[in-house]
Amino acid sequence: MKQVYICNDTVTGICSALYDAWKEERHGEAGIELKGKIQQQLFCEYKTVIETEQKSESLQRMIKRNLGYNAYWDVYHAILSDDARKGGAVFRMMQEARRLDDSTKIMDHLGNPDVAKVFELSRRVSNEAHVYKEFIRFRELESGALFSEISPKSQVLTCIADHFSDRFPLENWMIYDKTHGAFLVHRAKERWRLVWGEDLEEEAASRVSEGEKKYERLWKGFFESISIRERENPKLQQTHLPKRYRREMTEFL
Amino acid sequence: MSDRVMADMPLYDKLSILSDAAKYDVACTSSGVDRKGDGTGMGNCSRSGICHSFSADGRCISLLKILFTNECIYDCKYCVNRSSNDVVRASFTPEEVCDLTMEFYRRNYIEGLFLSSGILKSPDYTMELIYATLYRLRYVCSFQGYIHVKAIPGADERLIRLTGFLADRMSVNLELPTAEGLRLLAPHKSRKNILKPMRLVQEKTRENRQEIAVYKNAPRFVPAGQSTQMIIGATPETDYQILNVAEALYKKFDLKRVFYSAFVPVNSDKALPAIREEGPPLLREHRLYQADWLLRYYHFEAKELLDEENPNFNVFLDPKCCWALKHLEFFPVEVNTADYRTLLRVPGIGYKSASRIVKARRLGRLEFNDLKKMGVVLKRALYFLTCGGKMMYPVRIEEDYITRNLLNTKERLPEGTEGMTYRQLTLFDDMNMAAVHSAGTDFQ
Repeated sequence: MKQVYICNDTVTGICSALYDAWKEERHGEAGIELKGKIQQQLFCEYKTVIETEQKSESLQRMIKRNLGYNAYWDVYHAILSDDARKGGAVFRMMQEARRLDDSTKIMDHLGNPDVAKVFELSRRVSNEAHVYKEFIRFRELESGALFSEISPKSQVLTCIADHFSDRFPLENWMIYDKTHGAFLVHRAKERWRLVWGEDLEEEAASRVSEGEKKYERLWKGFFESISIRERENPKLQQTHLPKRYRREMTEFL
Repeated sequence: MSDRVMADMPLYDKLSILSDAAKYDVACTSSGVDRKGDGTGMGNCSRSGICHSFSADGRCISLLKILFTNECIYDCKYCVNRSSNDVVRASFTPEEVCDLTMEFYRRNYIEGLFLSSGILKSPDYTMELIYATLYRLRYVCSFQGYIHVKAIPGADERLIRLTGFLADRMSVNLELPTAEGLRLLAPHKSRKNILKPMRLVQEKTRENRQEIAVYKNAPRFVPAGQSTQMIIGATPETDYQILNVAEALYKKFDLKRVFYSAFVPVNSDKALPAIREEGPPLLREHRLYQADWLLRYYHFEAKELLDEENPNFNVFLDPKCCWALKHLEFFPVEVNTADYRTLLRVPGIGYKSASRIVKARRLGRLEFNDLKKMGVVLKRALYFLTCGGKMMYPVRIEEDYITRNLLNTKERLPEGTEGMTYRQLTLFDDMNMAAVHSAGTDFQ
């Protein structure tokens, strides 16, 4: 009977499920379903995974060692996507890699539907992460810290953390992911941290510094005057900058 | 002129005036250099560049694009800041530019600074102000983000060189595709004067590459390379001439990018084309960019794409499709065996999908279905490809037949360039200008 592993939709959860599945069913068939998004099937045995950091890290090490860093990068990004079937695709892709003479070439094997799926998910997530590197807007709070809110489809915070840490090493800043309720927190000169399960203090987050209004106004003015009237083209603008991002961007507020 | 400069103008007004005056400059990319922050300041750079917003005209906003001043001693006929125009004049101070750059950058509004300028008093005086601004930004504000700066033609070589060590990209505007056009529309500028700093930046870059090879930590001179731009449609050059100019610039001046800017009339002058109802020649600009990519990434040469008999691009088909239709003897190409360069020439296959194909077929035979997942645009490629010796559908390799079918698969043009007529591409009969000399001859 096909085993189906049930886990939370986090990196630790899915990697723990993959760890168990790989240990027990690597020669057979296994499914990985996310809590809250389970599609019940006949003739399956369901079990809930015990999730640990140790399992998760061990699995990630194994992927890096056997499939190489590039494939690991794609797997990691695919796991952050909002697709309910991502776990199963990664599992079958790992099985497919065993069949290749050189497993590190697995991501070139786009003729295989599971590899293609992982590739597509990875591309989707890394594209979204890139978009947020572009469109995130910080505002300066009274304390001098920078604060930003976003509502991404995938869990992009860890994908953009290094970028902003490298860019603003001497600043205190924080990015709040409204969709998944997670915070990315960076203190000046320290390493970033991911914080789950805290509530946002709306009131504190809305008290901006004295200079903030001034620079917001300057930016909006610049945004208007840089456009060429004779070339005005809202459709093209919307292709590049879909409306869903604009709710959180200074120049559109 | 100085009486039109307002003392103590608020920063907001200055920014409006000096960004408005800079908006016709097209090169707003922040690409070409990868640089991590060193932990002591603010900023880094990413090779592919990062756009931060898109203005109402759909163009990307990556850099804080401003003029240092719009006071100008020159009288170029196409320019809104020409000295004979009665517009409000303003100048920043280096401190103001630094303050705006740093505060915008912190909020992730921008990727860096794009600093251009009108010619205030003299080229040297202007270049010195630009240098002072960049110096302050790098060494007082510890800014490590992207800086694109204009080299002012006619300025002292040493000033240009010093500035180049502070900037990531430097550009000198070619302004118009031919020397003749320049003489007519920009009487104070000469082709020779424009090419001189371009050559200087090129030579210094080569020299710097050797310095870096010897001393790993030698300062970087214009690490993202130099670019230029020209105005399209203000003078009567053909696409063939323009493309030849671009090719010469890539080959002989090692330019990273050539930008094309559809002419937008801001002044009325009898030397300029009349204002056209249809707006700027955007489709023509688009075709030039497509051809420019073919030169840079697809190993095409200008003379393969156009010639004296067909000197302008087709309105209905992109340059690559046009080339393929004229060279049907090369097709169809077998996906599983054709080499990378041959795949690059197939319409519907880009350089990314071509390299994916080359890698994937080592692990198994490819079918048409697989190609789709790799990003190949099959509705265009299917006339030129076989998979395992078979075409996707039974099609005839015949110019008329394929042309008709390609025209039915609507090309995705940028919004706003659609619905243009052929007249806009040939045109120039309504301009009272003599034919210009063949382009590219002054790049020896």
